[in-house]
Amino acid sequence: MEYILLVPVFFPILAGIVLLLKKEYQKRSSMLLYVGTALVITGVFAVYGIFGITEGVTLFHLTKTLPVYFELDTLGRYFSLLFTIVWILAGFFSFEYMKHEEREKRYFGYYLIVFGVLLGLDFSGNLITMYLFYELMTLTSLPLVLHTQTREAVMAGLRYLFFSFAGAYMALFGVYFICRYGTTLNFTAGGVIPAAVLQENRTLFLVAVMFMIIGFGVKAGMFPLHAWLPAAHPVAPGPASAVLSGIIVKAGVLAVIRVVYQMIGTDFIRGTWVQTAWMSLTLITVFMGSMLAFREPVLKKRLAYSTVSQLSYILFGLSVLDAEAMTGALLHVTAHAFIKVALFLCAAAIIYQTGCKRVEDLKGIGKGMPVTLWCYTIVSLGLIGIPPTSGFASKWSLAVGALASGVPVFSWLGPVVLLVSALLTAGYLLPITMQGFFPGEGYDASRFEGKEPSYLMLAPLLIFAALTVLIGLMPNGLTDRLFEFAAQALQIV
Amino acid sequence: MNAFYLFLAVLIPCVGGVLNPLIPWKKRSHMLIYLETLVVVNSILVWVLLLNRPEEIFTLVHFTGNLAIAFQLDGLGTVFAGLISFLWPLATLYSFEYMTKEKHEKTFFMFYTVTYGVTLGISLADNFLTMYCFYELLTLVTLPLVMHTLTREAILASRKYLYYSIGGAAFAFIGMIFLLTYGESPDFILGGVMSTATLAEGKNTFLLIYVFSFFGFGVKAAICPLNSWLPQAGVAPTPVTALLHAVAVVKSGAFAIMRLTFYCFGVDFLRGTWAQYLLMGVVMFTIVYGCSMAVKETHLKRRLAYSTISNLSYILFGVVLMTPLGLVGALSHMIFHAFMKICSFFCAGAIMHQTERHYIHQLDGFARKMPKVFAIFTVSALALMGVPGLCGFISKWNLVSAAIESQNPMAYFGIGALLLSALLTAIYMLTIVIRAYFPEKDFNYDTIADVKDPNWMMLLPLTVFAVMIVVFGLCSMPVTELLTAVAAGSF
Amino acid sequence: MELIRNFPCLSIFMAMLSAIISSALKGNGARRLNTFVVTAVGVMSACVLYLTCTTGESYVYKMGHFPAPIGNEIRFGSLEAGMALFFCVIMLFSLNGGRKKIQIEIDPGKENLYYIMVDLLLSSLLALVYTNDLFTAYVFVEINTIAACGLIMIMESGRAIEAATRYMIMSLLGSGLFLIGLCMLYDMTGHLLMSYIQISVREIAESGTYMIPLLVTIALIVVGLAIKSALFPFHAWLPDAYGYSTVSSAAMLSSLVSKGYIFLLIKIIYRVIGFDIFVNSKIINVLFVFGLAGMIMGSMSAIRENDIRRMISYSSVAQIGYIYMGFGLGTTVGMVASVFHILSHAATKSLLFVSGVGLTDVSGEKTQFIELTGAAYRNVAAGLAFTVGSLSMVGIPLFSGFISKLLFSQAAVQSNIKMLPTLIALAVSTVLNAIYFMKTVIRIYTPIESKYPSVSIKKNRLYAFTLLCFVMLNVALGMCSQPITDWITQGLSVFA
Repeated sequence: MEYILLVPVFFPILAGIVLLLKKEYQKRSSMLLYVGTALVITGVFAVYGIFGITEGVTLFHLTKTLPVYFELDTLGRYFSLLFTIVWILAGFFSFEYMKHEEREKRYFGYYLIVFGVLLGLDFSGNLITMYLFYELMTLTSLPLVLHTQTREAVMAGLRYLFFSFAGAYMALFGVYFICRYGTTLNFTAGGVIPAAVLQENRTLFLVAVMFMIIGFGVKAGMFPLHAWLPAAHPVAPGPASAVLSGIIVKAGVLAVIRVVYQMIGTDFIRGTWVQTAWMSLTLITVFMGSMLAFREPVLKKRLAYSTVSQLSYILFGLSVLDAEAMTGALLHVTAHAFIKVALFLCAAAIIYQTGCKRVEDLKGIGKGMPVTLWCYTIVSLGLIGIPPTSGFASKWSLAVGALASGVPVFSWLGPVVLLVSALLTAGYLLPITMQGFFPGEGYDASRFEGKEPSYLMLAPLLIFAALTVLIGLMPNGLTDRLFEFAAQALQIV
Repeated sequence: MNAFYLFLAVLIPCVGGVLNPLIPWKKRSHMLIYLETLVVVNSILVWVLLLNRPEEIFTLVHFTGNLAIAFQLDGLGTVFAGLISFLWPLATLYSFEYMTKEKHEKTFFMFYTVTYGVTLGISLADNFLTMYCFYELLTLVTLPLVMHTLTREAILASRKYLYYSIGGAAFAFIGMIFLLTYGESPDFILGGVMSTATLAEGKNTFLLIYVFSFFGFGVKAAICPLNSWLPQAGVAPTPVTALLHAVAVVKSGAFAIMRLTFYCFGVDFLRGTWAQYLLMGVVMFTIVYGCSMAVKETHLKRRLAYSTISNLSYILFGVVLMTPLGLVGALSHMIFHAFMKICSFFCAGAIMHQTERHYIHQLDGFARKMPKVFAIFTVSALALMGVPGLCGFISKWNLVSAAIESQNPMAYFGIGALLLSALLTAIYMLTIVIRAYFPEKDFNYDTIADVKDPNWMMLLPLTVFAVMIVVFGLCSMPVTELLTAVAAGSF
Repeated sequence: MELIRNFPCLSIFMAMLSAIISSALKGNGARRLNTFVVTAVGVMSACVLYLTCTTGESYVYKMGHFPAPIGNEIRFGSLEAGMALFFCVIMLFSLNGGRKKIQIEIDPGKENLYYIMVDLLLSSLLALVYTNDLFTAYVFVEINTIAACGLIMIMESGRAIEAATRYMIMSLLGSGLFLIGLCMLYDMTGHLLMSYIQISVREIAESGTYMIPLLVTIALIVVGLAIKSALFPFHAWLPDAYGYSTVSSAAMLSSLVSKGYIFLLIKIIYRVIGFDIFVNSKIINVLFVFGLAGMIMGSMSAIRENDIRRMISYSSVAQIGYIYMGFGLGTTVGMVASVFHILSHAATKSLLFVSGVGLTDVSGEKTQFIELTGAAYRNVAAGLAFTVGSLSMVGIPLFSGFISKLLFSQAAVQSNIKMLPTLIALAVSTVLNAIYFMKTVIRIYTPIESKYPSVSIKKNRLYAFTLLCFVMLNVALGMCSQPITDWITQGLSVFA
């Protein structure tokens, strides 16, 4: 039975490859049918695997000591469920959106492949498997970034690629050492390296951990290697930007959690310069991302900068090494995923319907696309952290955890920065709502008349907005689970 | 089997190659069949020998005293001989198609085939003198291949190649003299041929001599200050660049260094000395330097040549770790890099053969017109970067494991160099791939309407190599086990 | 067996006699006589070699009426006999290889003169090899010089005459120094026979008096002979002399004349002064340094050279440097290496000269590199032979140069201080050799549309055959060096 775990990983990859190799479809609808079916089948098996299977499965050995091994733990389940939901919904959104782009077949082919790779990343039961899928993810998601093939897109794609690989190789440095000294490669709460070994090679391992945090942090847009993100995310087609910004960046978060909490162990880095450096970097990123977003006139780029900032909220929560903060961070993963995908999808819908890309063009858009703008407003509130949305719940936990952690300086500096950043977030998101609904005197909103998108596009938006509110209202079921996991990962009994 | 067959394996291609221009061929195809048969038969002979290894030594001729030309087959030789005898028939097949556009085919194939025998001679050599002789011969027989096009550029390149190689051999010669004088046996012995007492007596002298000979052989392996011949030698026809300057010749240099380090001086003596640190520094620098130059280079073949420089130093990095595990890493990269690099070179050759385009900026949109070649090129590019699941990852893994295991702090920096180099590899390989697959939006495909995939003679070797890259990447265990046995001396 | 003992003396006189007869003969007759004499002397030397090798001793042959220590003596062991044989072989090959050029370049009326000079050269060489008397040696050194001058001058071109004059001046300077040294030695010891001088020298060395005069004497003799054999920095006369004479002359001058002086020097070192005394004097360090400098500087000059003949000549400077470097090592092994290199260099250099002329012939008689492009295709035999010679010079295994290099380095390894300089100089010199020789090889194998006609082997049978012989000799030295080194070692052991 455990072999069913392989289905959601390899089925979409194969389906994607088949689609890529096929001749052009005569009818667009038959391709969509194919893609839709593949997405749904994957989703079903993924959900089945997430809830139904506890055993692990070894696929094969790369070398004698390197098995490719899949197993789901709480973290894996959490992430894979999140990824599945978002990926499928965004996929349906793109059925409509991709009408105005070329080479749809290629887009959907890679879309399916990346889905499989992401699930593989979530399902991986040991470090090397995760690394394998991590690299594959970079490579397979590249065509999504490059899709439009404009000069800008190609340059952004290259930047994406090189930053990602730089990060991956930095991380690989640590992977090498963990594989050598770890008692096992499987993810284990509290780490796999004996404390004696860690103490003996203290400097080496601290450097290695720092490398891994920065390396995997590249995907999560952490300063100093964040520059690729604002370039790469906006150039992709709308739904691709959404999943890139909402989902793929989270893979970096997942990898960081895996490494820090389940490979090295938190005890080793608590109170060291690594933790200090990590916290400083995340706080710098939070503030810087928000500032840059505030100054950015192009909507998608503004959202991308916002991603930089928000991802470092999560990383900050992780760097505190506190159960409460970690719960907040994990909750923010979901919150941000739904919100950012929704925001990007809104932007995509606007571009699709009106072609407007810059913020100042959007005056009065609420007259023509009220539903879209309402969804935008709701999730924006969520991102700022206003109750009763999911963002509030997650940020609350983050701040409380940080305050309670007792880390000198950062325990109060962190929440302050988060608060300032939240204000900036309001500053860069809400003007669009205000000017959209209240364009002011003498403004002609007639060009937006009747531009509301179709239901295929609206439905995902509405679902994401609803989920945002829903989680904000009833976070407890989720937070309890997450807290339990966090406590276990931090080995607080 | 009788050890005489070892000599036969060296002799067949040499004699068969020399005969080629003498036979009055009526049709080109007859010559091709002759050559391919010759090479395949010899490869089969080599593989039969590998599987039924002769235990004794075959001595061909005595020079003076204990100096003899002799052949034997040990673990290290098995690896190298197996590698080249696998690649040669495929490369020959490829060159049949490639050479249709070049002149002086007969001479070309003569030297090309003779080189096979000479390279086998290096791998099957029983003692330093034999290896040295074939090493020098290798320079001479490959020289006409580099000169082949006879343009001014080719002649300058071949001159440089010659000076560098002979100069290197001259320094390696110093090492040979020492080994002949102080060694207790002229044959190669895993662990070294000199007694500890002798070594302890003139420690620094021996180390100095080791460094000299390392650099001497390092010329062929293109280590840093001595590498400029390799990119220039890229003017040769692609089968030469691919097989010789990515595999046979340059790996002979690496092979000789392995012999020198593990089978002559002995790693127990060298480990932890200034010589080790010095060489490790040089090798690490070369790794990064080669990649950086490759990023700068815009000529396709030269870029790959710079990549070879860097990758050869991966092998040498494994060697200078001076542990059995390091040798495993070095050997595995020797094998895997051979497949990856010959594959990418052959792709480059296919592009040049089909389209006469040499520069990377001319390759926009080629992937649509040459889908097979570019799919294979992508595989080789990813493998060179070390993406898990392809063979490059495995060899790098072996190298790094050895580096960690050696507990040598400097080796940790070597890991950093490897990773930096991997990143640079990603840059210089994937820019080509992306350019070919994703040209700019309004790219006009009519400008490359004449571009198409080559015929089966080129595609077959390419496909085989690509498949091998994947197969080795997924199940490398038999290879690694074999190499471990070789490094432990138990094979 | 008793008869064979007369052969050395006989061969010297035969050569001299043939010179006298030749003056009455026409060019062709002189040539035939010369060929006969060289062959006959070769055969006789082979017999002597056989005798000395089988018995493993050296023999003394009394000349004239008076017994030692007053009279004159010939002394021969296996080394002398082998040298004589080798000189004959090289001479025969060189003359055969250059025969056509001799016919073209030399005024027909003077052809017999040329062969007279060759005969004289042979006799003086044989005398230098065999004699046991220092003054006899001096006399034949002078004869040798005059014969060599004649060989250079015979072309009668302005440059040849200038070169000959220069050669003459330098050579006489060398002979003069040699003569002064000889006189001083006679002053100190009262003997002219080598073996007796050594006894006295030994006494002087042991008593410790006269050490400075002795040192000066050694220095004078060594420098005198070094000038004559063109050791760096006394090589200024060499490139012109070799470069502007007819090819046979050049080949013989480089492989025989200078080697004769070197052989004499070896003889003096072993038989007159005594090897240990020589080693203990500081002279060997000087020789060592000059040898090394010669190896490098000779090659550097050759690289800068634009003329193939002069390039080959400069290469001789480098090779002479090798030989003196071997002396400078001050060990028997080093000596063996030097003697082997005398053979190896003689075989290779004459091959290069002879094949080089084949290449220039098909390039409009021009010696500049630019004209030589593609010459190997126009004269296949010469091209191949030149390649073999070059490879040997560079020290590629299977050829004689490799073995010399091997022997030199093995000798060097046994010395503590001189090891590294020697090894590095050898390596650098190899690179430099590769640069100028292989550059030439690449050039002659670069095909172009040439305006010069090509020459087939069939028309030039003798030439091609000679080249083949040279190549075989070279390969033989490279492949079967063991018996040769054994012979040299044995010969040196009975030399003193």
